[in-house]
Amino acid sequence: MRILRPAASPAVWLAVQILAAALPAAAAAPDLAHYVLDPAKSSLEFTFLQAGAWNKGHFKHFTVSFDFSPDNLAASRLDVIVEMSSVDTGDQERDDAVRGGDLLAVAKFLQAHFAASQINKTAAGYEAVGKLTIRGVTHDMRVPFSFRTATEGGVAVGYMSGKTSLLRLDYGVGQGDWKATDQVGNEVGVAFALRLTAH
Amino acid sequence: MAIRNTRQRWGAVAQLLHWLIVVLIITQFTLATLFDDLPPGARKLGLLARHKSVGITILMLAIVRLAWRSTNPTPPLPDTLRPWERTLARFTHALLYALLFAVPLAGWTMSSARGFPVSWFGIFTLPDLVPKNKMLYEALLTTHGVLAWTLGVVAIIHLLAALKHHFVLKDDVLRRMLPLTSHRTKESRQ
Repeated sequence: MRILRPAASPAVWLAVQILAAALPAAAAAPDLAHYVLDPAKSSLEFTFLQAGAWNKGHFKHFTVSFDFSPDNLAASRLDVIVEMSSVDTGDQERDDAVRGGDLLAVAKFLQAHFAASQINKTAAGYEAVGKLTIRGVTHDMRVPFSFRTATEGGVAVGYMSGKTSLLRLDYGVGQGDWKATDQVGNEVGVAFALRLTAH
Repeated sequence: MAIRNTRQRWGAVAQLLHWLIVVLIITQFTLATLFDDLPPGARKLGLLARHKSVGITILMLAIVRLAWRSTNPTPPLPDTLRPWERTLARFTHALLYALLFAVPLAGWTMSSARGFPVSWFGIFTLPDLVPKNKMLYEALLTTHGVLAWTLGVVAIIHLLAALKHHFVLKDDVLRRMLPLTSHRTKESRQ
């Protein structure tokens, strides 16, 4: 934008200058879309090595809040809260053990929380950089994901999916006998495929 | 001792397979007794995993053993046996072989029905034989136990028969399955 060169007062000239400087910044900061989870069409799974074989589980209840614009990653945010008691490994006896005090301790630590206030563009998609809290223990975590938007039935939706892994003992998931990793591996794979709707 | 069987005695491979399976079956009963008393937990999981790995080992050895048996001469039963005793001996041996397959297969299928894939000492994972099914799991849990106890009982009968051959009938039936023992009839002939 060209600066006007009128015979205006210096005060007006200054105001115009400030406005002119602010405008491009405002134009480059489009509104973020606010997405929330469509629980019926989303999954949050994990895999773990039990007695030498890979086993699967998932969480039935979790919430996602995603404020995102590909043109304003600086302001984009991802927040995920997982209800730990909703863990389901497909086996009642095992679920009881997983919920128990030596593993997820769901009675004391109701939720796990991932809060990312930094979203980076990567070659393959995006990466959420934030803090993951499980069992009251917080560590830095980077979660790569892909994200695509669509319009379905007039509603703006987003599909987010990705995979990562973590070490359960970093978060204290495994006290007593469960500290050993020979029967239940330390590495836990996490995979998510989420359908988000814009609000 | 020859590697292969002869008409007089079992060779080294047949003996090794026989006694290895004996040791592994005793291991299996010991492990099962240990984890049956434990509450669900890491220790139980560890013992169960070992039990499954050893069970799959027995299944693999049983396959090798049957293959080896089919390509080797079988030392004949002593001539002193009456026809019904021969029939009984053949039936008992056939039953033992059948159970060497049936017990681990029932265990493997039961694990699949529970939804727990079976790993062989963490080295490889076996395919699931059936989809997850709680009713089938409960049925196979019972089947696996009944078959295992049948194997235990038949094995004890097998042992008692071998001891009878050795101490009462004083023939070669036990000695020819033992390493480092000479052939009794051969000795007496010399």
